[in-house]
Amino acid sequence: MSQSTSSSYISAPRPGENTWIWLIKIVTGPLLILILVLHLIVNHYVGSLPTGLMTYEDVIRYYQNPIIPAIEILFLITVVTHSLIGLRGIILDMNPSRRVLRIVTWFLSLLGIFSVAYGIWLALTLASKGA
Amino acid sequence: MDQTRNQPSAGKFWSWFIPIGRQTGGWAFALNRVTALGLTLYLFLHLAALGLLAQGPGAYDKFLALTENPIIKFGEWAVVAAVFLHGLNGIRIILTSFGIGVTRQKQLFYGFMIVAVFVILIFTARMY
Repeated sequence: MSQSTSSSYISAPRPGENTWIWLIKIVTGPLLILILVLHLIVNHYVGSLPTGLMTYEDVIRYYQNPIIPAIEILFLITVVTHSLIGLRGIILDMNPSRRVLRIVTWFLSLLGIFSVAYGIWLALTLASKGA
Repeated sequence: MDQTRNQPSAGKFWSWFIPIGRQTGGWAFALNRVTALGLTLYLFLHLAALGLLAQGPGAYDKFLALTENPIIKFGEWAVVAAVFLHGLNGIRIILTSFGIGVTRQKQLFYGFMIVAVFVILIFTARMY
């Protein structure tokens, strides 16, 4: 490879990484920055503890507004997707065989589905605990 | 030519974390990778810990008391720092992915990292 032009340094799908997968990682990134800044502010300034953190009661009250569990679930799906695609990208850099890569992809997909299902269950449980 | 030299392999895993002898881009790469792994680990710990909320006020509020622990507090600080380092470095990657600032990557990197350090300092002042 004698491609020493600047274009070879541009971020691009990794070998074995479908363009759509790469694009999802790229699109979820800035979305996460926005939601995370909100998330940090809410969880460190809104609560009643001296540190600004939310107690159990604060959290339940916060979850009574239906928009909150909706945002949190959206956030969860976005962050889990971004993080697991990224993790798969890191594993791709270890040059796995096709077989290992297939197992990794399955494992990460299941982990993602399980995490999102668990998170949705948790968010709905908290929303339903209100008075 | 030398085809194996830049071939990725599992044996090179640790070298990803060693930025010594790299150019700026290598530092950016190492930084993004370390923060990525840290944030992924944190994400799943966080989801598991929030499960305590389902068990009621006793379990969760007792867990919250842990945030007073200096080691846990440092861990939280590290998460916030990683978020901004990874996030702002990510913006640079997105910009260059779409052909923006490709020849100014070094400047972009330093610029974003200055912003990151600034934000981290604000958080540090608020936390401690």
